[in-house]
Amino acid sequence: MNFAWNSDQVAFRALVRDFLEANLPDNWENIAHGPGSEAQSIFSKQFCGALANAGLLVPHWPASWGGRDADPWTAFILAEEMWAAGEPRGGQYMNVNWIGPDADALRQRASSRRATSRRWRAARRCGARGFPSRKPVQTSPRCAPALTSTVRITCINGQKIWTSYAGLADTCFLLARTSPGKGGISIFLLPMDTAGITVRQIPSIIGEGDIHEVFFDDVTVPGRCDARRGRAGLGNRSHGTVSGACGHSAFCTGVKNVAPRGGSAQERRVGLVTGRGAGAVEQSARAHAACEVARLYSYNIIDQRCQGQPPGPEASAARVATVNAERLVNEFVVEHLPEALAGGDALLLAHHQRAIVAGIASGAAEIQLNLIATELLQLPREPR
Amino acid sequence: VPADFHDFALQAHEELERELVDGEYFDIAAIEELGTVSAALVVERLARLPGTAEIALSMLVSARSSTSNCHGRLALVENGRPGRFVAQCNTLLVIEGDAVGIAHPAPADVTAVESLFAYPMGRLIGTPSVQWLSPEEAGNVRTWLRVACAAEIAGLMQAAIDSTVAHLSIRKQFGRPLGTFQALRHRMAECAVLAGGVRWLALKAAWTGDAGDAALAALHAQDSATRVIYDVHQMMGAMGMTLEMSLHLWTYRMKALLSELGGRRRAGEGRRRLLFPVGRHSCRHVPFPTLLSP
Repeated sequence: MNFAWNSDQVAFRALVRDFLEANLPDNWENIAHGPGSEAQSIFSKQFCGALANAGLLVPHWPASWGGRDADPWTAFILAEEMWAAGEPRGGQYMNVNWIGPDADALRQRASSRRATSRRWRAARRCGARGFPSRKPVQTSPRCAPALTSTVRITCINGQKIWTSYAGLADTCFLLARTSPGKGGISIFLLPMDTAGITVRQIPSIIGEGDIHEVFFDDVTVPGRCDARRGRAGLGNRSHGTVSGACGHSAFCTGVKNVAPRGGSAQERRVGLVTGRGAGAVEQSARAHAACEVARLYSYNIIDQRCQGQPPGPEASAARVATVNAERLVNEFVVEHLPEALAGGDALLLAHHQRAIVAGIASGAAEIQLNLIATELLQLPREPR
Repeated sequence: VPADFHDFALQAHEELERELVDGEYFDIAAIEELGTVSAALVVERLARLPGTAEIALSMLVSARSSTSNCHGRLALVENGRPGRFVAQCNTLLVIEGDAVGIAHPAPADVTAVESLFAYPMGRLIGTPSVQWLSPEEAGNVRTWLRVACAAEIAGLMQAAIDSTVAHLSIRKQFGRPLGTFQALRHRMAECAVLAGGVRWLALKAAWTGDAGDAALAALHAQDSATRVIYDVHQMMGAMGMTLEMSLHLWTYRMKALLSELGGRRRAGEGRRRLLFPVGRHSCRHVPFPTLLSP
């Protein structure tokens, strides 16, 4: 067992930090209102272009897609540093973290070519997946899915609530039912300018531009839309793994913001925290411990991924550990740094808004608890 | 599990200790190819056993102490309170406030005391001479005491969870196993996540030997144990209150460790040195993750 970073990993992290130092503006904290916010989204276009030029946008993607076949540790270090900095990639993190790799897993070469070409323009995608809608997105009955793994669908109807970053997305990563049964879910990469798609932003306490409801009214699937049928199981398990990574990075922001350090703004925070007594110290220590737990759980998952192991129930445990960490950091901020959430600290506010939804976004934590109970603890299943 | 479970709970497992000595398990931390992480893993696994012996302090604290007379079976006497194995050990770690010392008690200096804790407990009643350690060495001993505490709690917690899972899998109510009820499944899953986290932090602290890592591991262990002890007893129902079930062996051993080294408050204070240094923008100037700390 070895907890050390190797020299390549140390160098890569330093490279990313240098890039951040050189490319984040002095007023960055006034821009970082959350990945889906308008200000951050606008900034992310130029930032992602610069990242791409530096070879830091998708290093873990295949070389044929514009990456350099870097290992999962590289992607993770990149994600850690980006989230710790307030995620200047905006909603683009979702594309590089899981939509691209999922598309890779599904061997959608055609879509990948488009993804590569659009990447340079910092294209965005929304993720219409995960939660069942009140009215599930379905292909029209008149559409006949092909029996091969590539689906030929002509029309999509339905709605999807809780769709991330849909307002500014160019492409939708859409899961829709194309036939009955477990294998009857297909994935579409659907241009958001397709006629029949309506996006309604849902005002929420988690920040602007994050969640939307997307309506599909007789959407005719364009010939350039790519679809892949089956692999419904792609959902919770792989999502849990990847989200564990994303969330893990999010808590870095949290713990770093509550941690005492020097510097003008931070010194004020230190004064506030230490001035509030031993209770604050112990509570921040609890939050810090939870962050370290989530970090190590996540590192274990990345290590497994590097060894080619499929995601196991540990991924669900990592996800729950991340939710715990986010919650404890948030509770600390609310109790000991409340002024941060009332105009005092834009980055802490942004973290707070992400963290309050940690147990719901990326799939409800309770689903992961069920998976842990069944697969990790081997408890008997609930009757269905 | 021996039929005489009450005595069993109070006595050290001499056969286990003898086998560990014969197998040179107490030397693991000092062996370069194995080291402290292996020792912590062994402590964690052995803590899952229903039988117990003085293992954790000997495997981790003795091995990492630079004090020449910190050897043999160890026990901890904190501020005069009764401690585990105090009546059986040949070396005492004596803590008075922030001071840490070492004593070798005569048989008349210690006495066994009865307690609910499922360890043999004892009290220091004599006044053996104490060699007080330098602040630096005292800090080192505290670090490895915390690593040992976290590793031991990790194993105890896992054993308690395993025992409870077995019960929930076979015990039926309302026509189906208890383990099929989501209210219990979720609580057990949360306990499992906590236990896994304690194990990770203990192993990392054993790897770095860093005081802050050790404090963080001990804090999370003591904090998580408080929650898990309650949950597993609730799920075991009245069975968990009986000495016929072995659950109390692990939960009461955890309880014995909850107050060690000042408990959660002192552990929380001890992790301060892990925190992050100076930066103009908090988002940019942060160190590499603490895994790199020597």
